[in-house]
Amino acid sequence: MSNNKQYPMQFTGRGSEYFVIWIVNIALTLLTLGIYSAWAKVRTMRWFYGHTLLDNQTFTYLATPMQILKGRLIALAALVAYYAASFYSPMLAVALMIVFLIALPWIVVSSLRFHARMSAYRGLRFDFTGSVGEAARIYIGLSLLIFPTLGLILPYLAYRQLKFIADNTVYGQTASRYQGTSKPFWGVYLFALVLMLLPIGILALGIFQIAQMKTAGMPPEVAMAAAGASLFGGAALFYLMTLVAGAMIMARTANLFYNATTIGPVGFQSSQRARDLIWLYFSNLVLIALTLGIFIPWAKVRLARYRAGRLTVTGPENLSEFTAGQQQGSTATGAEMADLFDLNIGLT
Amino acid sequence: MTAFSGDLFDGRSSQAHPVSASLDAGRLHITGKDIALVYQLDQIDVAPPVGAARGVVHLPEGQELHSTDLSALAALSSASATNRPERWARHLESRLGYALIALVVSVLVMFAGLRWGVPAAAQLAAHTLPAGLERNIGEESLTLMDKFSLSPSRLPLARQQSLTRQLAAQCGKQACPPYTLLFRNSKLFGANAMALPGGTVVVTDALVELAHNDAEILAVIAHELGHVEHRHSLRLALQSIGAGVILVAVTGDIGSVTDLAAGLPSLLLQNGYSRDMEREADTYALAWLNAACIPPRHFADILGRLGKDTTDSTTLLDSHPGTQQRIEPFLASHRCI
Repeated sequence: MSNNKQYPMQFTGRGSEYFVIWIVNIALTLLTLGIYSAWAKVRTMRWFYGHTLLDNQTFTYLATPMQILKGRLIALAALVAYYAASFYSPMLAVALMIVFLIALPWIVVSSLRFHARMSAYRGLRFDFTGSVGEAARIYIGLSLLIFPTLGLILPYLAYRQLKFIADNTVYGQTASRYQGTSKPFWGVYLFALVLMLLPIGILALGIFQIAQMKTAGMPPEVAMAAAGASLFGGAALFYLMTLVAGAMIMARTANLFYNATTIGPVGFQSSQRARDLIWLYFSNLVLIALTLGIFIPWAKVRLARYRAGRLTVTGPENLSEFTAGQQQGSTATGAEMADLFDLNIGLT
Repeated sequence: MTAFSGDLFDGRSSQAHPVSASLDAGRLHITGKDIALVYQLDQIDVAPPVGAARGVVHLPEGQELHSTDLSALAALSSASATNRPERWARHLESRLGYALIALVVSVLVMFAGLRWGVPAAAQLAAHTLPAGLERNIGEESLTLMDKFSLSPSRLPLARQQSLTRQLAAQCGKQACPPYTLLFRNSKLFGANAMALPGGTVVVTDALVELAHNDAEILAVIAHELGHVEHRHSLRLALQSIGAGVILVAVTGDIGSVTDLAAGLPSLLLQNGYSRDMEREADTYALAWLNAACIPPRHFADILGRLGKDTTDSTTLLDSHPGTQQRIEPFLASHRCI
């Protein structure tokens, strides 16, 4: 069985088609005070999955709106409890924060598991088998080292987070394997740091100027106005560079993720380019601002099309030889918590 | 009879089996090479089609039937009696006209929510929050302003004390919210006065110098006391949070890249919110001045001299009058109660 057939990933959705779905979702969500958002999410996911083609077969999204709604309500209750507590008693809020931190590995694992189990291709479900213990080591243990190491551990942390996903995903009963090393991640983050040095330098210069003029006896508001140009310029450049560095990191880590992952006989070739993604993000941002948000559906479709177009699956002559594993249910609570608390898990 | 072709996946392997399916006498027949399946409609689950995305029929035992024949799937979906809201959504998504209505409805609901819903919620929240929290916020913002935009007042101490005494005397006669009066010099703000959360009222030197008499200064302070009474600074802060939540909820999870874009309309909103608050503070000031037996005309005089806002007519989200209409009620002859 030869193992080098190329299957390009395709995305066939169009922006105008998604616009209609998107705007109806928003209208119904607003009119039902948010309850419809669960249906909206399922319809959106089904649309994106149903337009993602590999070997002329689409992906299937299996979650039901009721599952999503239940998860959302529980997550929302947790969030409201946290905010209410933090207003009335800071101590209670700190206690809840600690509970949340302890629960974090579970939230991460159950979010990844839900997402995997609700995704299928050719009638076979994905699954995620990472353990809560390993998630705790990565998301709590290594994250705690960010401060003492002055952020030097970030590349390694990013590597471990990707490896956690890429090593623990199962398609049917075929487990994935990740063979990448942490080495290339250092290059990516070093480059990002270099990009951020310029705006940080300009900001530091502005603050230094203020301090100097204040010691020279200038009233603070005059000093502030005098240094305003470098402060404003620094802040604007900071925002721009965050976009550039963020897009660069996304493109490079997506490639590092796919190119070192295999699922049985199947491998991936991802060739996203930082400059393409920077341009996509930047032009999307400008167009969304100019159209007061109307462009959002087209922006999402552009991204989906780019990502799919840059991904090729290499595998055997036909992809029919995978077999199913055990079917297991899953609840959406962890996934919806991760969404609501804005945790960024995995690749977008 | 509805007939269509598609791919059957048996849920045990990734093999696709080309099949043809037909809906006949309330049953779904699926036939292909070595395949002959028949299901009752209540055994199958048709995922309502979304856009032109390929459709899926979920069959018992994890089997899936995929098809690109969306009209056949839609017929199958309405034949299998489950009446889900999604079929309704599918209907709405089917015509551009409905989409445009959805757009208009979304904009109107968002507008109403942001224009009236958020301020109402913020007002409720502002009055339930503990006063200590508000004071903390006020102290922090004063420290910050003292560092960057304010410097100590250059007014003679006697002048400051005289104004403080006059205000205290008035507040002995009528109810004032708890306040602290401070004087500061500021090139950045010029002639101005502001009310911070927790009741701190800051008056700039330039304002004191601009005033022709103490009654004018008291009139401006009365306006600021109106802001304090209605907890405007806190409400403004809460409103910007509320507006942010709504905007993020609607624009959704496209990522932080759009935060700036979403921030633009909220800037416009802030403008509209603060105009409402100015009017509330004006109403308070007018009643306060009448109760204090100070001719309200003084407020009109100094406001006219401040010369700000005179060009404002209307903003996108509000239609409140500029200075001319604002000072009109203050020009009426005053009643000393």
